[in-house]
Amino acid sequence: MEAKKVAVYAATGCRACENAILDISFQVNSLDRFARFEFWPYLLGSRLEDLEKPGDIDVTFFTGAISTECDEEAARRLREKSKILVAFGACAAFGGLPGLVNLQQAKKAPEGCEDGTPELPGLRRRVATLHQIVPVDYFVPGCSPPQNYTWTIMQSLVCQSGAAARMSFAASRLPRRIARSVLSGVLPPSGSVFAGEKAVCASCGRMKQEKLFASLNRIHRIEPDPLRCLLEQGLLCQGLATREGCGGLCTGAGLPCRGCFGKAQDIYDAGAKMVSAVSSTFDTTEAAEMQKIAEAFVDLAGTFYRYTAPAQCALLQTPESKRPADEDFEAAGGACNG
Amino acid sequence: MNPFEPRIITFLCNWCSYVAADAAGVSRLSQKTNTRAVRVFCSGMVDPNYVIKAFAQGADGVLVAGCHPGDCHYIAGNIKALRRSFLLRKLLEELGVDEKRFRLEWIAASEPHKYAKVVNEMSEQIRALGPFSPGCVRD
Amino acid sequence: MSTINIGPLRYLEEPSQISIGQNGEGLRSFYQVTAPRDIAAMCKGRPAEELPRILTILSPSHHIASAKALDNLFGIRIPPAAENIRKALGETLTLIHHARKLLFLLQSSTNPPGTRENLRIAVPSSQRRTVDEIMKGIAAFQEAAYILGGRYPHPVTVVAGGVSRPIKEVHKRRLQEIARTCLPYALRLRDIFSETVIGNGWYKPINISFRPVASITSGETENEVVATDKTGAEAARFAPEKVLDTLEILSEPWTYLPFVHEKGKTWEGPLSDKTEGLFFVGPLARLNRATPLAAPPAEAERQRMIGCLGAPPHFSPLAGYWSILVELIASAEKCETLYSEENLSGTETRVVATGSGRRGLAAFEAPEGFVCHRYEVDQRGLVEDVTILDAASENNGLRSFLTQKIAEEAFAAGQPWDQAKKTIELSLVPF
Ligand code: SF4
Ligand code: SF4
Ligand code: SF4
Ligand code: FES
Repeated sequence: MEAKKVAVYAATGCRACENAILDISFQVNSLDRFARFEFWPYLLGSRLEDLEKPGDIDVTFFTGAISTECDEEAARRLREKSKILVAFGACAAFGGLPGLVNLQQAKKAPEGCEDGTPELPGLRRRVATLHQIVPVDYFVPGCSPPQNYTWTIMQSLVCQSGAAARMSFAASRLPRRIARSVLSGVLPPSGSVFAGEKAVCASCGRMKQEKLFASLNRIHRIEPDPLRCLLEQGLLCQGLATREGCGGLCTGAGLPCRGCFGKAQDIYDAGAKMVSAVSSTFDTTEAAEMQKIAEAFVDLAGTFYRYTAPAQCALLQTPESKRPADEDFEAAGGACNG
Repeated sequence: MNPFEPRIITFLCNWCSYVAADAAGVSRLSQKTNTRAVRVFCSGMVDPNYVIKAFAQGADGVLVAGCHPGDCHYIAGNIKALRRSFLLRKLLEELGVDEKRFRLEWIAASEPHKYAKVVNEMSEQIRALGPFSPGCVRD
Repeated sequence: MSTINIGPLRYLEEPSQISIGQNGEGLRSFYQVTAPRDIAAMCKGRPAEELPRILTILSPSHHIASAKALDNLFGIRIPPAAENIRKALGETLTLIHHARKLLFLLQSSTNPPGTRENLRIAVPSSQRRTVDEIMKGIAAFQEAAYILGGRYPHPVTVVAGGVSRPIKEVHKRRLQEIARTCLPYALRLRDIFSETVIGNGWYKPINISFRPVASITSGETENEVVATDKTGAEAARFAPEKVLDTLEILSEPWTYLPFVHEKGKTWEGPLSDKTEGLFFVGPLARLNRATPLAAPPAEAERQRMIGCLGAPPHFSPLAGYWSILVELIASAEKCETLYSEENLSGTETRVVATGSGRRGLAAFEAPEGFVCHRYEVDQRGLVEDVTILDAASENNGLRSFLTQKIAEEAFAAGQPWDQAKKTIELSLVPF
């Protein structure tokens, strides 16, 4: 079998997603039989112009959010060149931590440079996700994606039925729908997310007791009970609105989930889901009491959309009807009256 | 310049507020024509998702109206709506939706005047605020 | 003036490139970081207690630095068990960080093992084994980081007031297994280093001496910061609270990475001879203080380094890598104790915050260098302002002038830019 040509690119984020891929490719020697890394600025020093060479890329792993013109151009070029484009990691898939910037008033790009100094790739007014720029074939959520899914997607897309034993290992980690295609050696349905389908709560080891929410707690002010659900202890845990896949890493370590896997399937807006789940357990029927409990909450948007503001916060998306026809979606924020 | 006509989505509970709205129409109370009514069985079933979706898809204001506390046909649906309204309003505000754009009101079947008043008030306030444009937040 | 652009540079945490302008008089190079990292915008408005989870985006050690700033903000003294876990995590991060940098040196293509150009390449199996060996070590340390930090590369367990949970029995046993491999691993790396990098002469391209530069490191305790002058002599010692009065952050329109320089000293850009405010941080800065190390094998390696390169202070990328190696051995030795049953058996790992301050600050000696966090919060505990010194911005000046030096020399020698690029890449990695 001929080795697949693989590209890896980092836009705005950190190196951890790339390191995750690097670690896999070294740890597992036999991946070398299946993959030939053709384009990878971080390790090979590849330039975007290298993509002008003839020949396609089989699979591109794109990490990081789109925050500069250069990120955007890379996205377009890699899309054009690649048979399969994967948004790898929370930044590429939903905007990630860099996307938090979108919760603030858009900033002006830095002023032009003085004479004789080189230019920088210009800043976009809004951080976008890969999918908002070009069509994406698959998504791997997580900040960074856990190794088992990294390994799984490598096998599904790169080894592609090259080794039966590996395939069944990979399939055991995926939702049935995706696993079926992986096992039969065909590509999973386009748009598939390489993670679970339910919410983090489904794999979180903590017990729910249907307790009511008497007041908000903050993690530095309580030492939560190690066995009980964190939300029921008054911590804003986002496990019930977040896609399963990490196995409840953070909740297992005693910290509330912040949603790095993006919203769970079938949820329209994670923030709305959380508002509804949290407030329906307020332990009162008095408006004044409710008001009091609610007042303790801070930074709902920055918590509920911690990793997803650009892609999954419904209110930060501009609907077609209100979008000035000839402008980029990002520009629509211009005439805003709150 | 075109005068701005705010679009207000109203979620009206089948048992009280919808009746009131109907009556307001029948008795030709003067009311602004900016509303698009969605009849729901109970204000308690207006999930925060609906409200957010309305704004995300271009509404300039959202009104949720239900029976007075104690009168809900499903016993406490309206209390449920009330519980959710505080955090919802907070989230909306953080995302740049002015608090005047979202209202929860108790309007009994016998209160068409109240309905007209609320709707007129909201229209005026939102007209003053201007159109809502998703995708941008306040400082 | 004609400008050429060489980049992107390999192996650096920050996506970066070099722009070189040439005119009659000479050549001016710019080390440009091309990806923005608007940390302040990510942090402002967030509840302060969330910052350790957000700031890991800078590097996992900022997770610890951030929690320390919160301890200070809330006025908490953390329990000894938490201190132990934090230290163990910190040393683990050093192992990973340092091993990765050595890996880059060993696999880069200016050196023979780097024929692994394509990552897939048929390299002679012995060399290939070497690289795989290093990766296996990194994998084991990552597992340790998972255990201690709850998540890796963006850990979560270090919180205001300590650590979110004690270490489980099964994890302690696994850590002890890993502990046994640390030192042999570090010594193996030492052997590879002395055999190939020193013995086979691969050090030559990175044996570039640059002019002496001042540095900043933590003192013997965390409550002291030491500024060292160019001669390696201690110039000042001050409390962490004074750091941000001493150092200044400065942005340039041609790079997304800010510069940090010493206040009150001349700053005419990183390249000017008149610039006195330039300093650097990191492993070499720490070793340049010439303090003997407690661990015998690490001290032996430090002596070997002195035997080869002379007495500290040293100013060259080679010395940078060598100090990484020395520190790696020291960390490996420390991990043997830090991962031990006695060290990790405490169950009181948290103190709950009762107070609420308005300003938190911490200085921390991270694997990549001295870092400092300062937060201003409002009465609800929401972040109003953050100031963060990270090793990359602190070393930005050094990186810039090192780049200039290499570019000038390559130009004078008529070297192709391709080759100069490789030298620059390898020379910047240890800083
Ligand atoms: S998803 Fe997380 S790990 Fe990946 S690039 Fe973004 S911040 Fe880094
Ligand atoms: S809400 Fe959080 S703590 Fe509770 S079960 Fe779900 S994931 Fe676990
Ligand atoms: S618990 Fe939540 S935040 Fe933590 S890794 Fe899982 S999805 Fe991400
Ligand atoms: S039925 Fe009217 S509010 Fe419930």
